Amino acid sequence: MMKRKTRTLIQDSIVSTMAIGFGVILIFPLIYCLAGAFKTSYEFLTPTLLPGSFTYLDNFKEALVKGNLLRYTVNSFIIALFGTSIRLVFSILAAFAFAYYDFKFKNLCFFLILGTMMIPADVLLATNYLTVSRLHLLNSYVGVMVVSFVSGSQMFMLRQRFMSVPKDMREAAQIDGYGDISYMVNVLIPICKPVITTLFVHSFITLWNAYLWPLIVTASSPNMRTIMVGITKLNSWEDENYQLVLAGVCISLIPSMILFIIMRRNMRRGGMDGALVG
Amino acid sequence: MKKILLVLLAVFFALTSVFAAAQQETAPVQKVVLGSQPVAITFWHSASDDAGPLVDKYVQEFNAKNTYQITVKAIYQGQYSDATTLMKTILSAENYKELPDIMQLDATGKLDYYNSGKAFTIDNAVKYFNDDIIGGYLAGALGNWQFSGAQLGLPFATSTTLTYYNKNALKAAGWDRGPDTFADIIQLSKDMKAKGITMATYGTVPNTPSLANWLGQLGSYVVNNSNGADAKATKLECIANGALKTFLTEWKAMYDAGALQNQSLSTNQFVAGEVAVFTGSSSSISNLLSKVGGKFEVGASTFLRVNSSAQYGATVSGSCLVMFDSDDALRKAATWEFIKYMTGESVQADFAIGTGYTPGFKAAVENQNYKNLLATTPQFAVAPQQLAKTPASMRSVTVGPTVDFYYAIQNEVSDMLKKGTTVDATVASMDTNLQALLNNYLRMNP
Repeated sequence: MMKRKTRTLIQDSIVSTMAIGFGVILIFPLIYCLAGAFKTSYEFLTPTLLPGSFTYLDNFKEALVKGNLLRYTVNSFIIALFGTSIRLVFSILAAFAFAYYDFKFKNLCFFLILGTMMIPADVLLATNYLTVSRLHLLNSYVGVMVVSFVSGSQMFMLRQRFMSVPKDMREAAQIDGYGDISYMVNVLIPICKPVITTLFVHSFITLWNAYLWPLIVTASSPNMRTIMVGITKLNSWEDENYQLVLAGVCISLIPSMILFIIMRRNMRRGGMDGALVG
Repeated sequence: MKKILLVLLAVFFALTSVFAAAQQETAPVQKVVLGSQPVAITFWHSASDDAGPLVDKYVQEFNAKNTYQITVKAIYQGQYSDATTLMKTILSAENYKELPDIMQLDATGKLDYYNSGKAFTIDNAVKYFNDDIIGGYLAGALGNWQFSGAQLGLPFATSTTLTYYNKNALKAAGWDRGPDTFADIIQLSKDMKAKGITMATYGTVPNTPSLANWLGQLGSYVVNNSNGADAKATKLECIANGALKTFLTEWKAMYDAGALQNQSLSTNQFVAGEVAVFTGSSSSISNLLSKVGGKFEVGASTFLRVNSSAQYGATVSGSCLVMFDSDDALRKAATWEFIKYMTGESVQADFAIGTGYTPGFKAAVENQNYKNLLATTPQFAVAPQQLAKTPASMRSVTVGPTVDFYYAIQNEVSDMLKKGTTVDATVASMDTNLQALLNNYLRMNP
């Protein structure tokens, strides 16, 4: 008994140490970024990790002005919020159809959607640009967002999650007079909230961090640029202003961090808690 | 029936030819007078950090002061490579109306611009406007923006590579001048060690531009067709003449003597006092001096030479301004006025003072404000002096697989030092691998 306890203790210690180690590795870039953003240009050249003072805010002020980051943050927020929401609605509807309906060529359609996950985004740059251009959506928020409205990977993940919900739930809901939409809204989505929330956060961060596509689509509308484009304005060939760039990155991290903190509880909560009770 | 069909076909072709010919003859010839009506043009640039506000200032001044009712809309399009990607995407989609009237371009975008089908080269413009302004620019600065005999753009941000050194550290080692050759670096390293100075002497990993400089000093190009300036580069030109071998031998000697670190030690390490000598762009002088402040004295000298028999000089780099054919005579005329303004005396002198770039316009070099700067800050004077010494034949490298080429050179030279590969084996490996990159590009872009 004692031996078993000791073994468990050793195992737990090793796992905890490794977890802490991985945690430190994961969080180190963030600490480095934050520390660097408060450094003066001279401090940045010294090998010390921490700045002399965390009250040195000039980098943030300069980044906001030089990179026009306030305006670009608003643009990024609009694009990330609406793009993510619309993408999620499409994904939920498509995943529901694939999980619950039977129709001709269902598997073929599903594999075609899966196939889109294999195509690198860069390959689609020119064709997507052509499509958006022909739809007269260049230099508009919709033009920036439209290519992210449909996501094969989100459909796939939601379909798998929906299929794991017992069929009895849908039948029970139908007996209670629920149609498909009512079932989806009132039963399925609340059950799958953790997955949906996780996909929302992931998608938001992906769209928030997008650089090349928004740059290309808004070529003639500099006021529609996103925050990532603004950050590139802070560095140049002539001078390496890493402390400014890191301040810009810190500013760009704020919305994603807030979103993550708000959604964290939903992401962790078990989806099936009490689903079949009563 | 057959005869009737043949006759109908013949009539159809005859009519088509007549209409086609008529259409050509009656194509409208736009007669425009600049200033007769307002005109707006678009300018894409990649000027960021301190250069960004300067470019915005010039554009605002032009918009306010020009008497032709021209309004320039300046748009920052990300780094040079991003702007080139944008241009390529628009060209692939054949969405030409989205192209700008004028664009800031670096060497990576030269070929794409040339092949765009919408290039309105400076040669075209000179002929079109009957306005030969070419003689006003420095030949060395112009040369970098030529391809296949055509002058693609006019120099806007002209720079070259210089050697910067920590005067205090060198003085402590008994040196009252900057190093000139690789052999000097070896000697300097010995002297620094003898005096107990622990900072690194020199550290860099050669890439495409620096290799072009060092091979150019030895009278060789990296690739044929004058480093790809006259026509598409198809093969390496530094193998058979032994230039690559000479360079690698001298390079390895520096490393073996402990004078060279096989890593890029540049501005930041120099400012932090970790390295005594570094080679970097002349465009970073302003920022370098401001970062160093009064901590030590910064020396600048001409780009390191491979050996004492090599020529002085380094290729010109930076960026130029190119024009696109908008098919609109008024916009083209407005663009021509704007490009002359941006590459002319006042802007070039002011931009050089504000950034450290060298003026590409002859009159700007003689500008009094610029001369005052050279008198008070002698480090600025080295770049124009070096430009004057650089042979006109020295060209930067223009190849299709730009990025792959860059990293392949870095990896090959770095591997030679790290893995202890012989010079001959490295030459053979570079010959095979770099040639393969060229071949692949040419196969895909015949």
